[in-house]
Amino acid sequence: MAMLDIKNLTLEINTGDSVIKALDKVSLSVNSGEIRALVGESGSGKSLIVSAISGVLPPQWRITADRMSWNGDNLLSMSVSQRREVMRRDIAVVFQNPLGAMDPSAPLGAQLEESIPNEFIRGTWFWQRSQQRRKIAISTMHKVGIKQHKRYIHAFPHQVSADIVQKFMIAMALVSQPKLLIADDPTRGMEPTTKTQVLKLFTRLNQTRALSILFVSHDLLAIASMSHSMTVLYAGQTVESGRMKHLRKRPLHPYTKALLDSAPSFRTNLPPKSSLPTLDGSIPTLQHMPIGCRLGPRCPRAQRACVSTPAVRRIHDHTYSCHFPLHMEKL
Amino acid sequence: MIRILVRYSVLFVLTLLVLTALSFVLAYLFPGDVLVNLSGITPENEVQRDALVRQYRLDQSYLIQFWHYLQQLMNGNWGYSFTSGLPLREEVGLALPATIEISTYAMLMALFIGLPVGYYAGIRSYSLSDRTINSVSLISYSVPVFWLALVLILFFSLELGVAPLSGRISLMFDIPSVTGFILIDILLSEHIDHGLALRDALHHLLLPTLAIGTITTAAMIRITRRSVIDVLQKPYIAAARARGLSRPQIFVRHVMRNASLPILPLMAIQITTLITNAMIVETLFSWPGIGNWLIQAIYQRDYPALRIGMLAVSTLVISLTILVDMFNRMLDPGRERFERGAI
Ligand SMILES: Nc1ncnc2c1ncn2[C@@H]1O[C@H](COP(=O)(O)OP(=O)(O)O)[C@@H](O)[C@H]1O
Ligand code: SF4
Ligand SMILES: [Mg+2]
Repeated sequence: MAMLDIKNLTLEINTGDSVIKALDKVSLSVNSGEIRALVGESGSGKSLIVSAISGVLPPQWRITADRMSWNGDNLLSMSVSQRREVMRRDIAVVFQNPLGAMDPSAPLGAQLEESIPNEFIRGTWFWQRSQQRRKIAISTMHKVGIKQHKRYIHAFPHQVSADIVQKFMIAMALVSQPKLLIADDPTRGMEPTTKTQVLKLFTRLNQTRALSILFVSHDLLAIASMSHSMTVLYAGQTVESGRMKHLRKRPLHPYTKALLDSAPSFRTNLPPKSSLPTLDGSIPTLQHMPIGCRLGPRCPRAQRACVSTPAVRRIHDHTYSCHFPLHMEKL
Repeated sequence: MIRILVRYSVLFVLTLLVLTALSFVLAYLFPGDVLVNLSGITPENEVQRDALVRQYRLDQSYLIQFWHYLQQLMNGNWGYSFTSGLPLREEVGLALPATIEISTYAMLMALFIGLPVGYYAGIRSYSLSDRTINSVSLISYSVPVFWLALVLILFFSLELGVAPLSGRISLMFDIPSVTGFILIDILLSEHIDHGLALRDALHHLLLPTLAIGTITTAAMIRITRRSVIDVLQKPYIAAARARGLSRPQIFVRHVMRNASLPILPLMAIQITTLITNAMIVETLFSWPGIGNWLIQAIYQRDYPALRIGMLAVSTLVISLTILVDMFNRMLDPGRERFERGAI
């Protein structure tokens, strides 16, 4: 049963002279205990989905969805305080650009302590409580791999390296012991060793605490090994979604295949004859979206039918949106 | 911290030196006798003139003259006024605090009304109440202070008769000047009815404070509102909301501090406008401040008074600007990265 269940999420941005669909019927679900990868080129709308789930999009943007629920409760129609409660305890978000997501005028330690839910704190007097907050903060810092807690707890975000800020961001997300962690490109710009460390931490938390993770990235290599399932996004549309295993072995959508091919280490897994050159061109801007299948102009398999938007088709738990999918003969 | 202090002190001293040099040069540039412009004393015969020349080192090089001038300023010998014959230091000592006093009250008005209203408008941005506040503050900010003061006089003094037309306090009260702030001096003085005197002084203060305070308050509202709106759009506010913090929590912990930081330097720029406005309004209300005093000096062609008055006002403005900027530097941890200019 899906904890987070999104069906046909559409986001319309009014730019003054026209309304553009930044997200077009995106479907995404995260099951309890799984790591779901959300991949797509940069600019495909991954961060917009994260913001939509977190409920922090500007109020003038129009969000519609057939379903957008957390454990069966509709996120779009619930009251503000209910929604806040979900974000406070159940869902934690690591935003991309960690430096921007930190209050520049507050020490890192104070911001981490602020994220500790009040229920975790016992003690009658305020000094006992603040002592306990400090203790929890320090142990969380150690957990995410910040060893010199004394050096960083009083530092301001701009005084420390990007790696440390990113780790604080992750610590702030984990300290409330969420059920779902949404991590938007959490390893961008990290050194390889730090990156491995963070990925290992996520895998461990997923296995020991049954933490569900929505892992957003454009770095296929990093997530392919740890994710159970994957949703592929192109230009604000979900093009394919299913178990990681199946998608890797037999991608049905030309875009998924091109994406996998662009990561060198996957090529060896594929039969050499069917290998498709990586797509030319680049992702269209929101103002100039092609009609029908948005991949059309870049797609080597495109035919006339592609000017109408392909419907979502389903084979077991594998969904795709393409008129002329690959590998069909083998199914 | 110490480095900041040293840097600002150096800046302060250098600026003052330039200003002092300017006021010294003015003695030569103003029409008339340099000696008279510098000292404010018209010598009656050659003997007295020679004595003054020697006293002011006018027979020596310019550099030594200036050095001597500096020393005299430091020792409190600022020369004499042409017209009254009184020491300028004493006259400035009476006039400057009167200006600082109404400017202070106007600034307090801006702080106590402008800040909360600005915060409110910022949080409720683009709502009806925000639009109303925004329009009213824009209109108040654009009104010329001279005109506003006249309207206030016309309405409150002449029509309604609720506020006196001019002056600082009724002549009934004889308040010796200790601090130069009338309200404090009243409390310090003896043998008067404090309640009555305070009421009278407040009545006199009402209109001039209102006239200059309205404009400063409008500026404060606009600066605060803009600043709050800017902060609310920052990604860290979105991140705080995504952590499930409530609106009041976000406001107190993240919006207020971050919004206040840009307000301080922008208000420092307003200080100059505020003092200028105060000096303009003084002449209308016959408020015995430095603006009024300077106008009188201009009418009388009292060159020594003009020179010293200019120096006093610019020193005041520069000191305040540098002080606020320095505080701001110390308060704002992220400031080092941007390195804004000092003034
Ligand atoms: N505040 C905004 N206003 C207008 N367009 C935006 C805004 N934020 C993002 N977009 C547009 O939405 C698209 C998706 O952006 P984003 O979600 O950041 O992509 P990703 O995270 O996949 O790199 C981009 O084309 C971007 O230009
Ligand atoms: S629908 Fe057509 S254009 Fe789109 S991916 Fe499939 S084949 Fe390519
Ligand atoms: Mg992104």
